Amino acid sequence: MNRDGPGAEAFGGDLQDRRFPLARIRAGLVAIAAAVLSLAAPVASQAELGGKYASVVADGARMHAKLRSLPATNYTVHSLTLANGGEVRQYATADGTVFAVGWNGPGRPDLRQLLGGHFDAVQADNAPVRGRFRRHPLAVQRSDFVMRSSGHSGAFSGIAYLPQALPTGVSEKDLH
Amino acid sequence: MAVIRLSRTLGALCLCLTLAACGGGGGGGSSSSSGSSGSGGGGGGTGTPTLTNFATVIIDGGPADVVAQGGAYNEPFVSVTLCAPGSTTNCQTIDHVLLDTGSVGLRMEASALNASLLSALTSETDASNNPVGECYQFVDGYVFGSVRQADFTLGGGKVAGLPLMVIGDSGPFATAPSSCSASAGTFLNTVALFGANGVLGIGVTTTDCGNLCAASVNQGSAFYYDCPSSGCSTVITRAANTSAPFQQLPNPVAAFSTDNNGTILSLPSVPTGGSSTLTGTLYFGIGTETNNGLGSATILPTSTSSGPHGAGLVTIVYKGQNLVESYIDSGSSDLFFVDSAITACTDKNLTGYYCPATPVSLALTVNGQNSGQSAVNLTLNSAQILLTTPYSAIPGTGYNPSNSKTLQAPSSSFDLGIPFFYGRKVYTAIEGRTAGGTVGPFIAF
Repeated sequence: MNRDGPGAEAFGGDLQDRRFPLARIRAGLVAIAAAVLSLAAPVASQAELGGKYASVVADGARMHAKLRSLPATNYTVHSLTLANGGEVRQYATADGTVFAVGWNGPGRPDLRQLLGGHFDAVQADNAPVRGRFRRHPLAVQRSDFVMRSSGHSGAFSGIAYLPQALPTGVSEKDLH
Repeated sequence: MAVIRLSRTLGALCLCLTLAACGGGGGGGSSSSSGSSGSGGGGGGTGTPTLTNFATVIIDGGPADVVAQGGAYNEPFVSVTLCAPGSTTNCQTIDHVLLDTGSVGLRMEASALNASLLSALTSETDASNNPVGECYQFVDGYVFGSVRQADFTLGGGKVAGLPLMVIGDSGPFATAPSSCSASAGTFLNTVALFGANGVLGIGVTTTDCGNLCAASVNQGSAFYYDCPSSGCSTVITRAANTSAPFQQLPNPVAAFSTDNNGTILSLPSVPTGGSSTLTGTLYFGIGTETNNGLGSATILPTSTSSGPHGAGLVTIVYKGQNLVESYIDSGSSDLFFVDSAITACTDKNLTGYYCPATPVSLALTVNGQNSGQSAVNLTLNSAQILLTTPYSAIPGTGYNPSNSKTLQAPSSSFDLGIPFFYGRKVYTAIEGRTAGGTVGPFIAF
């Protein structure tokens, strides 16, 4: 649905046209905006798939959750028990990189926050369905990002992971 | 449109007569039109009171907007009548409302409602005297809209002042708040996107959010919002009243004055090649009338709304795996489960579906929470038929929710969708209500 197309074109058009003052001013504003975004980005990326372990603590605070960490072979599972009784699990490697997140509970959690930059892939790969085949669970199958989900209103579950960041010997089957 | 619908109805009636299987128990279930409440079947001069605790269910291609896209399959629809509160003239009967045992609450697409009716549906207001909005999650996306009240009729059941959601209402309700869209998927705010004119959620709970929205948690499937004209951003609490006056959207059946402890969905069986349309019956109440007894059905208690994974779950044992988050869902068009041993479809329109060369027998055991066990044998057919048949009732379709060619996703769920319902009476007993001597929530079949 051209979600990221128009914005990129508009930025490129302004930046290329440097002969006119108005365009320069616009370009300057774009540059400032880009700088602000770049400052904001690391903050946002701390709390997402692919971020560092510190993000788990931050997520726990935001979700009013209790944190429990269990060491497994090659990785650690940080389990957040949510106030709604549900659970969010973040799987982190020895260096603290979160390579997978899983969830279950009465509602889907804030996936925009949990998946960070990969949220857009969920939206792009689950575009509106208008044909005969609808009401299927959200899913993504990409080389660098995979997501599965299931459930119904009141009881949802899912898993998302970065295949290229899985620790040696760990497969999708281990993530549940 | 009217002509098409009439011919469909006649077709369904002929099918009923041929199969002699529509309607089930003594209350009768055939009807003279898809929008009527039926005539009941207990009379006939015997002095037995005429029963009205049921509504007609039809499986067909759906509303015109959906038929135009190829038509729905395995989606059970009912007709509901809404009136402005207190009015007997400002009313509208809306067909093709999805009957969903997997959600709770009545939600209507704004575009399916007449302007005169919509404007007369009273808005619910919050402590700030602002209109109340709601976000609600489905498996493929979410809906957002206003919370209003209407006098509601479904077959022989009525509720005055029933709270419902109007999806994609105007003003502050036209755009979903970011905290709503954060759950991912599509904003299902048109009939074409939603696949129905609305949804009637009759799952196992009395309200759509329970205690999760009564406190300040709001992390369930439902979020309620304070909606001044500037927009809806602040999440608010709504009491989990289990009877009127409701604050959250109630299970409409739980809001009935009688026959309010659950439902029975009775659908006839379907031949292997499918049926163009199908007519069945939704009974209100379990063990409350002569037409809704439990009979020999096995009671299978489900998880409750205070359970860690939500309400309505049972354990299904499949090929030695205990799938502890399994459920029965009339809003699912297929059997949803993961089995890498079954051939996946290769057609790009059928990604995720199963296409075995010959039908596969599925042997399941359904275990209730702590008690109850029932063996289920199903036949999984190739979904290839979906590409060629114009029919709407298709038996034995299956789908792998991992949507993966490798079919190796971890799963703890088996979803018994509409193919399971064909040829069965499926009971859904509501949480906290006694049905046939047992307190819900439970399912039975």
